[in-house]
Amino acid sequence: MRRGRRALDGLDDDMRDHIERETQDNIERGMAPEEARRQAMLRFGNVALIREDTQAVWGWPSLDAIRQDVRHAFRTLRKNPAFAIVVILTLGFGIGINTATFSIVNTALIRPLGFAEPERLVALHEHPASGNAERWPFSPPDFLDLQRDQQSFEGVEAFVNVPFELSGRGDPIRIDGGKVSGKLFSLLGVRPLLGRDFTPDEDRPGMDVAVLSWGLWQSRYGGDRSIVGQTVTLDRRPYTVIGVMPASFEFPRRGPQVNNKPASIWVPMAFTDEQRQERGNQYNRSVIGRLKEGVSMDEARAELDVLARRINANYPVVLQRAGLSFGLSAAPLRDEIVGRMERPLLLLLAAVGLVLLVTCANVATLVLSRAGARTREIAVRMALGSSRARLVQLLLAEAAILSTAGALLGLLSSRFLVGAVPASVTETLPGVQEVSIDLRVLTFTGGIAIATSILFALIPLITIDRGCPGLALQGATSRSTPGQRRHRLQAGLVVSTVMLACVLLVGAGLFIRSFSALMQTDPGFNPDRVLTASLTLPRAGYSTAASVRNFHLALFTSASSLPGVRTAALVTDLPLERYEDRVLSPEGVDMAGGSTNLSWVYGPYFQTLGIRLKSGRVFSNIETIEPGGVVIVNERLARTFWPGQDAVGKRLRWGINTQQNPNPWLTIVGVIADVADGPLGVEPSIHAYEPFSQFPDLMLNNVNVPNIFGRQIKLAIRTDADPRALASAVRGEIGKIDRQLAIESVATMLDRVGDVVAPRRFSAMTLGAFATGSLLLAAIGLYGLLVFNVRERIREIAVRLALGAEPAAILRMVVGQGLKLVSVGLVAGVIASYGVARAVDSLLYQTESHDLVTFGAVPVVLVLIALMACALPAYRASRVDPARILRTE
Amino acid sequence: MSTKPSYGRIDLLQGTLDLLILRTLRWGPAHGHAIAKAIERASDDVLLVEQGSLYPALHRLIKRGWITFEDGTSENNRRAKFYRLTAKGRKQLEIETSRWETLARAIARVLRPAAQESRHETR
Repeated sequence: MRRGRRALDGLDDDMRDHIERETQDNIERGMAPEEARRQAMLRFGNVALIREDTQAVWGWPSLDAIRQDVRHAFRTLRKNPAFAIVVILTLGFGIGINTATFSIVNTALIRPLGFAEPERLVALHEHPASGNAERWPFSPPDFLDLQRDQQSFEGVEAFVNVPFELSGRGDPIRIDGGKVSGKLFSLLGVRPLLGRDFTPDEDRPGMDVAVLSWGLWQSRYGGDRSIVGQTVTLDRRPYTVIGVMPASFEFPRRGPQVNNKPASIWVPMAFTDEQRQERGNQYNRSVIGRLKEGVSMDEARAELDVLARRINANYPVVLQRAGLSFGLSAAPLRDEIVGRMERPLLLLLAAVGLVLLVTCANVATLVLSRAGARTREIAVRMALGSSRARLVQLLLAEAAILSTAGALLGLLSSRFLVGAVPASVTETLPGVQEVSIDLRVLTFTGGIAIATSILFALIPLITIDRGCPGLALQGATSRSTPGQRRHRLQAGLVVSTVMLACVLLVGAGLFIRSFSALMQTDPGFNPDRVLTASLTLPRAGYSTAASVRNFHLALFTSASSLPGVRTAALVTDLPLERYEDRVLSPEGVDMAGGSTNLSWVYGPYFQTLGIRLKSGRVFSNIETIEPGGVVIVNERLARTFWPGQDAVGKRLRWGINTQQNPNPWLTIVGVIADVADGPLGVEPSIHAYEPFSQFPDLMLNNVNVPNIFGRQIKLAIRTDADPRALASAVRGEIGKIDRQLAIESVATMLDRVGDVVAPRRFSAMTLGAFATGSLLLAAIGLYGLLVFNVRERIREIAVRLALGAEPAAILRMVVGQGLKLVSVGLVAGVIASYGVARAVDSLLYQTESHDLVTFGAVPVVLVLIALMACALPAYRASRVDPARILRTE
Repeated sequence: MSTKPSYGRIDLLQGTLDLLILRTLRWGPAHGHAIAKAIERASDDVLLVEQGSLYPALHRLIKRGWITFEDGTSENNRRAKFYRLTAKGRKQLEIETSRWETLARAIARVLRPAAQESRHETR
């Protein structure tokens, strides 16, 4: 291109010289100097145009021309600020929510996992041979068998989430930790930032070593590099720090159903001898394998089938006879991590994609309306010899300014939008706590901006008929072909905006209906005026059953005696949670393989949470302190094993129904209502409750039982007034009992319910916001179309009025024109929504995909809004003063 | 301004103008005005509607490497470019000329009998 610049340099001189010589020639031919010059100029042609054509030969529009165009575009937009502002805001809205959603999808689904060669990483599960699609993590001996015998993998490693109390250096806090088997980190292909990884030798009990996450290292230890080799106190036991992982390493990843809390600290798995041998227990270790180079997933699965048979043969005969048998399954690790979120996230992306379409259609309508007003300007430019390419360049400059401003606004607002997503929602998404605007997001936003600007630039051009600007110049506006083409296009755009808004409204309606149905379901308990606190007693401070029971008594007594407290109780798991899953045998019922959730309560738990008693009685004060062989069950359990009978007085015991079962029979003393034990709207499971006095001392004294079993405590108190007011008093009481104890959380039961329903509330609210936005845009588009139409037809309207038409007739005409478009869009929209609704059917709760309320309300709302959009232009049209219009035209 | 059609003048096909420029420059380097004059003279003022349209054509040829230019000073002490043919351009001129002659002969063969007939009829 340097040659081009050199050639163009001096072009003006060249042309001036040319004209000079021609003038000279003309003078010599006997013309007067002035006439000679005029003739020379005429003969030469349009200097500016020729300069442009010559520059165009070299393929680049001159910088000068661009600068000129941009300046002109700014001037034009400043002359019509309302247009520019509406377009920029509309684009900012559309691009903003798209960028926000895309950046979430980007971090959750697209961004790589951060492990080496992740495509060879596989998540492994045990699945009960009898069961459905249920997949369990591994029981320790099963995992060890797999690790020893498998040939398909370079290695298989296990991990499990464990909470820790971290003390020393500052206040004690509760953190999420991870126990990992020997070579997990090297299996993932991640090396520590500082220090070293665990050695295989350290993966045994008694080797108290730990690796810190980058986050904990920074927040707690200020990034002190000398931390390696020092000790930290976990659950009141000293651990030697041997390494720090890099900032990018997050493990376990969010997303899977269990073991999904990113750990702040990792310690060796260190199975005890008992854990290595006890079959049929502790199915809670997640397992990851790395396929050997060249081994396919199918080959690995075939081997797993063989291994599963071998593992089943290792189970004790009693368990085998009871029908306990497993298969082994494998799935790509990526599916395990992002699989559950993929569908909802892609649906969300589709929804915002619709909003973007509405945005574009709306801006296109506005640009078209304006194009109508600019037909003359463009025609004049074309007639004056502006080339089509140059005109495109000019329009593109204008569109680029609008799109760039819109994209910047969108990018800015997307930051706020992402920040506005509640934590209870982001916590369910893999890797979303680090949502950031990266290159991919910028490319996405930039791509949208470029596509939109090209679209807008071309619209006015389409409306100008090729090569006959004359028509437009003659002022034949409303009857000429280009005008008609524009009107058709504009009408089509309004129809599609209405259609898309209708689809979004129906979608939002269905989700909102689902949410309200969800909030109306009976959770089985009364969350009002209940305050809760959760804590875990570390084994080091509470190594005996007596010490745990003393803590229970102390906490229960002090919480009950706080002013403003009606009742208080302790429990292993509050409603909306699950604790332990136990195999049970009902007496006299031949039903194998029944299992139930089991909770342990201390004090008047059912009264405190407002759980209704269906028959029998609640636990007595004596039973709270002394084991009495009693149990309370939920209705579902009673109905399952004793259908049509009163379960009170019946007996059950834990474990399989065999002669050897050493567990005592428990008598059912009461039946209570089913209490939600997971996300609201999911049918509660079978559930049994025992008084904590019956919790075996042996379990609390035995070091082989997992640390936290029987040591997790939830305190629930029912208060007279606002439960929040008691939060600090509760913290104070706990501190009085054990100053060192870290409190996990203090929250009202209503907040806990809110957290559980947050994802559904979020989807209902976001869809609602999208739909409202689109509705507004559709209304603006319709309004804009009618305003411009009325302006164009003002002469016709004036003539009609002058000839005696009633203003009301004019009113009806304009409104009718608007409603015709709306009804076409509405019909198309309802049909499209029906299809969309069926696609989201599985995400709805107690709401049919053809929910009549939604499908009935949406058209009404749309028509009402459309009427409002029509009203002003129609009123203006009916008030036209024919005399004034006809005189000026 | 393009107030067409101008009687007696022909809108030049791009290729034809290129050919004429190459032909003119066969006699030696020339500046823009001289080239325009030569084309007008050779074609009885029929071929160049606007002298200015010479310039995009010149640049097109520079870009293709068929002609090149030197900065010079003209008699009236102005900066002006002198354009001249390159070796590549000379070769191109031969190719274009023979192609043009073939085409012209073909058109002539097609047109002449018809033209004679029509003259005959008019008489």
